[in-house]
Amino acid sequence: MFAALAIGGISSEGRAESTTHTVVIEAMQFTPQVLEVKQGDTVIWVNKDAFPHNATAINGSFRSGDIAPDGSWKFRADKKGGFPYRCTLHPTMKGSLLVK
Amino acid sequence: MKTTFNLLLGTLLAIAATSTLAQSGPTDAQIAAIVVAANSVDIEAGKYAESKSPNEDVKAFAERMVVDHSGVNKQAVALVNKLNVTPEENDTSKSLKQNGADTLAKFQNLNGKEFDKAYIDNEVAYHQAVIDALDNTLIPNAKNEELKALLVKVRPAFIAHLEHAKHMQMSFK
Repeated sequence: MFAALAIGGISSEGRAESTTHTVVIEAMQFTPQVLEVKQGDTVIWVNKDAFPHNATAINGSFRSGDIAPDGSWKFRADKKGGFPYRCTLHPTMKGSLLVK
Repeated sequence: MKTTFNLLLGTLLAIAATSTLAQSGPTDAQIAAIVVAANSVDIEAGKYAESKSPNEDVKAFAERMVVDHSGVNKQAVALVNKLNVTPEENDTSKSLKQNGADTLAKFQNLNGKEFDKAYIDNEVAYHQAVIDALDNTLIPNAKNEELKALLVKVRPAFIAHLEHAKHMQMSFK
């Protein structure tokens, strides 16, 4: 009983702290360029340019696929670490996701 | 070498035409025609390069130009429709189109690496010319705030394309 309550407590605390963050892709930039989130948070990339972009982790941890204009892609950051990423369609576009 | 020089010369003539307009200042309707012409010329060049180049990187770059500039044109056309502006052809838009047609004609005589180099050299010159036109003529003269905002917003795409093209240009040296 005590154990169940404790697990329930941790679980509900985890939900309460989970946050959704937005990275705006506009004018050939990821904004914010560096985003720090907590493990378990969700990140949404929103493409506000007139053509497709993607968010592709250099180490392959995540890969959005092409995000159409006005489209978005959601990713839950379950793994801690630093994840530099880029748009493979536009080599000048770089960003970084830090999961603490 | 001569071909590359001629292609660059054509682009420079287009810039000269833009500078002439700068003295009087193009209207929003003329700016709209210039933007559509500039994008259309690069879309046509990209489609041609996609089908002709033997190099996968050049093909991918050309495909990106077609997709991105088509997106910009779609946005530009949607805005001019919303603003009830009818694009008005002018010396700059005509010069861009003529230069684009001349460039495609010259491309027909080139093959393989020679074509790839000429295409990428032209992309570098073209994007630089458009950035110069945006900075010196189009953005300063745009009267409508939404049109000005659109020009400002698409400028980074031309910068990124220029950097991409320059990077590819290095690989041909």
